[in-house]
Amino acid sequence: MRSSAVDKGLRTGVVFGIIIVTMFLIGFTVTGAELVGKILGTPSSSPSLLFFSIFMILVGAWAGASASARPLVEVDTWKRALTTGVWAGAMSGLFSAVIGFLFGELISNKIDPRTYLPSVSPESIKMFLFNQTPLTGSLILFSMLTVSGLAAAALSFFVRNNDSVKSSKRKASESVWSVIRSQRVSNVVQNKYTRYGSLLAFAILLIILPRVWGGYWNYVLGTVGIYIILGLGINIITGWAGQLVIGYVAFFAVGAYTFALLTAPEPHHLMMNFWIALGLGVLAAGISGLLIGLPILNLRGDYLAIVTLGFAEIIRILLKSDLMTAYTAGPRGIRDIAGPTIFGKPFNSDVDFMYLIIIAVLVVTFLANRLQNSRTGKAWYAINLDETVARATGINTFASKLLALSLSAAVAGLAGVLFASRNQFTGPDDHALMVSINVLCLVIVGGIGNIPGIFLGAFVLKGLPEVLRETESYRLLIFGVLLIVMMRLRPEGFLPAKRPELEKPAVQNLPGKEG
Amino acid sequence: MSTCIETKEVSKIFGGLTAVNAVDVVVPENIIASIIGPNGAGKTTLFNCISGYYTPEHGQIEFYGMPIQGQPTYAVATMGIARTYQNIRLFGDMTAIENIMVGQYPRFKASWVDAVLSTRRERDEEKQSIQESSRLLKFVGLEGLGDNLARNLPYGAQRRLEIARALANKPRLLLLDEPTAGMNPQETGNMTHFIRNLRDELGITILLIEHDMRVVMDISDQITVLDYGTKIAEGKPKSIQSNQKVIEAYLGPDVTSLTKKYQLRKKQRYDVKS
Repeated sequence: MRSSAVDKGLRTGVVFGIIIVTMFLIGFTVTGAELVGKILGTPSSSPSLLFFSIFMILVGAWAGASASARPLVEVDTWKRALTTGVWAGAMSGLFSAVIGFLFGELISNKIDPRTYLPSVSPESIKMFLFNQTPLTGSLILFSMLTVSGLAAAALSFFVRNNDSVKSSKRKASESVWSVIRSQRVSNVVQNKYTRYGSLLAFAILLIILPRVWGGYWNYVLGTVGIYIILGLGINIITGWAGQLVIGYVAFFAVGAYTFALLTAPEPHHLMMNFWIALGLGVLAAGISGLLIGLPILNLRGDYLAIVTLGFAEIIRILLKSDLMTAYTAGPRGIRDIAGPTIFGKPFNSDVDFMYLIIIAVLVVTFLANRLQNSRTGKAWYAINLDETVARATGINTFASKLLALSLSAAVAGLAGVLFASRNQFTGPDDHALMVSINVLCLVIVGGIGNIPGIFLGAFVLKGLPEVLRETESYRLLIFGVLLIVMMRLRPEGFLPAKRPELEKPAVQNLPGKEG
Repeated sequence: MSTCIETKEVSKIFGGLTAVNAVDVVVPENIIASIIGPNGAGKTTLFNCISGYYTPEHGQIEFYGMPIQGQPTYAVATMGIARTYQNIRLFGDMTAIENIMVGQYPRFKASWVDAVLSTRRERDEEKQSIQESSRLLKFVGLEGLGDNLARNLPYGAQRRLEIARALANKPRLLLLDEPTAGMNPQETGNMTHFIRNLRDELGITILLIEHDMRVVMDISDQITVLDYGTKIAEGKPKSIQSNQKVIEAYLGPDVTSLTKKYQLRKKQRYDVKS
């Protein structure tokens, strides 16, 4: 009979073995090595063996550490930790060695695996085997993973059980907390001047930074900003009022196209002023939300999701169709969309656009923040939690939902206007369903119903992939994995929404209560 | 004493089933009226008709002389009819005090524009709302628990919070659907006391559905008995207790004679002993 330690080690090892094999088959081992290289600060087009080794050691260490980690059924001993670690490492090593050996034999027999698996190039196989013969290479791989698993298990055991490490960790966290809790710090935080001071510093930072960090960052963060606006917008109807709207991109498209048609020389040559067109774009999106909402907001749950999905596709296909080419320029899209002007002077450089987006984000955040816990916001959340009861407490649920959808749509319209104006172009393909899915994802991952969560979600889901260009082709895979992991571990998102405390402060403010 | 709520020959039909059949109920102002009846008698359906959740097929419902049947639920609630549910239905992910503040919704006016601009009206109303909610929390005995999520409160507290939410709109008529369901004798006693307080202190008319006969007989000024959707009796608790139709509805048609025999025998035994 195997001991439970061996058992746990083997099970973890199998999981990590499968992960390694999958990474190998989709070519991620090369990308992983590239990422390690990038983090270590040596950007090179062809990743070296060293970086690959570091990558594999990290994976093996992860396997060993997670195998030996708690939760434990039995006592945490050296023997147990090392057994689990070594078996986890060995098992994942076995998987990688077998797959490496097989593919190594394939290429030495002049069979190109790319015929069947497009991501497995001969170079990646050679790197996987450390440029050795299949047998030697797979033996190196095996021993490397085993040793790293063992080492990581030992290290994690040491960190867990060593008293000095433990106590210093506790002391550190205690001292940090005591500083945070201490009266002086809270006085400083609550002090009016400090607060205004930090706000001022933040404002100055927002003014200076776009000028400093160059065009690339302005582009990336501009996109993030537009997605923050979209996230805050869909949060009104989906996060707060609880109505799942999948075709959110439709309102984005209405905003972008209204703005584009009003300002572009073709097809209508209206050439309207930027600011008027911006207002009209937002208005048009808001009205489209109202009109769509009228017939469908009596639907609940899945039905509403499907209807809005259909609506978004109809908008996109209409924009693309021959029927509408005379009015919307069809599949070619609309070019030469106007940029903003201030007092007749153009205001459309990268930096200027960054400012514009920052201002828009601030305005929408302000709006959302004010609405969140207002009477209207509470009514929305009540509808979200139990629509029947909300109605029975006197809330006109239909009107409330209609308001939420219109506001939501107007915010999407604003994002659409900024997007079209920044790119100076918009076409039907900018408004594919994927935009809606991305926005929904970022809200769900960040923390549905919570404004800081949406910021975080936008940075993680739109910002990171732009920065980590190497992972481009795995974006959807990572999205999927991230969503599954989130649903398992933190179903309410990274930063879940919290309800405000209302009774306690009210009681404390009563006269005569203060001791 | 004016009439608070009156149903005139109200019928509600689901497919082929007549759940409520031409029921007349007259509830005068400022009393506690109960609706009782075996399971499936149509009590909750009648409640749903009054609160606007269902529209009755026939008949009229008048609230202080105003016809209200067919009006949307939120309009009925705004007029001053509040209700609680048989299985507690709070907004679980909101705090207790927020639940009450949602209950106050129809009494305030601040729109979303007020909220965005933080106008004087918005600020005043928010302050007033929090103050009144705190007072209500105290009234139902939940002082200090206001910032807990509603779903984390114990069962009895949830029941009382649901009533507090219903009271938040300053209703003139309160519909309670089995307010003591699932409570132990002591909690039931407290709840009975509490309901009586509502009428005496706040002057609210109360219409309740209840299965616990001790509670019903104890607090009701008037009892209506439904069976198979039809009203079979109405009156003071005393008269209902001895009403033959009611006993039959609850215990079966032959039981009256049995009961008489039983009482006779008991009396005989009592006589012998003494």
